[in-house]
Amino acid sequence: MFEELSLHILDIAMNSLAAGARTIQITITEHARRDLLTIRVQDDGRGMDDDTLKRVLADLTTTKRSRKKDIGLGLALLRQTAEMCDGKFLVHSKAGAGATVTASMKLSHVDCPPLGDLNATILALCAANPAVDVQLHYLCGEEQFHFSSKEPAEKKVAGRPNPFWGGEEKTNYEPGRTQKVKRESTAAGCLA
Amino acid sequence: MNLEELKKLKEKAQRQVALREGSKKYRVVVSMGTSGIAAGAREVMKTMLDEIEKRGLEDVEVRVTGEVGLEDVEPVIRVEEASGEKTTYAGLDVEKAKKIVAEHLEKGKKVDNLAVGKEKKPE
Repeated sequence: MFEELSLHILDIAMNSLAAGARTIQITITEHARRDLLTIRVQDDGRGMDDDTLKRVLADLTTTKRSRKKDIGLGLALLRQTAEMCDGKFLVHSKAGAGATVTASMKLSHVDCPPLGDLNATILALCAANPAVDVQLHYLCGEEQFHFSSKEPAEKKVAGRPNPFWGGEEKTNYEPGRTQKVKRESTAAGCLA
Repeated sequence: MNLEELKKLKEKAQRQVALREGSKKYRVVVSMGTSGIAAGAREVMKTMLDEIEKRGLEDVEVRVTGEVGLEDVEPVIRVEEASGEKTTYAGLDVEKAKKIVAEHLEKGKKVDNLAVGKEKKPE
């Protein structure tokens, strides 16, 4: 059992590295109003087919060939934490198309672990493979924080519309045509 | 979690990346599988990075790997030297990690009482 959510994140993201991912996106969303904390780790590694996915979720299996015994606890531990905190646990993956692990927790649940030392987690991931782009997206109400190890250009967007609401509105007026309203989602820009 | 903390992350990650470039005399490999993380490998790694930076050791790089098959004595690190010699340290904590940086990485003296197994002779 891990005491911090950031340890879970590190553990899941290490799987992504083992799957040969070039980009790892870690998204943490805190919804105070919905009393929900969501953690998503998305990679573009080699992914898993349906059989492997079933096996991995069913019985503590690892796919790593180097181990004598095929036991892995990483996903099982995260599922336990999520379900213990009235949350959900989902894994989406397709062979050759990366994997996405999502876990949610009730923010106010007494068993909900603290996020912990997220800096150390990101540092460890950067140290594991400097060639991989580790991205962190932290969304908390109106406040956002984005970090990428490849382009460490920090973008802190304050006071802008919440990306879940559709983002900014831009008007492209062309004479002779009906005025069109073009929507550019800030979320799509940040998460692309 | 606050945003101020996250801001500091950027600079620090950049500094650590700079530390990793080029070939170094020492390479420290930290075992960061599930069991390692549960035993505190991340804190050990962080301490070593901080200590290396504090002492200004430029000839050291720190890397991370998955499980190394020593789950019962985690956290485990391996110090690889440019000569090919490898030393494995097990059962570490923050204090022991500091000691390894001070003795092995700075002075080049192995910490025998923390090392496990037989050292590998360079081939």
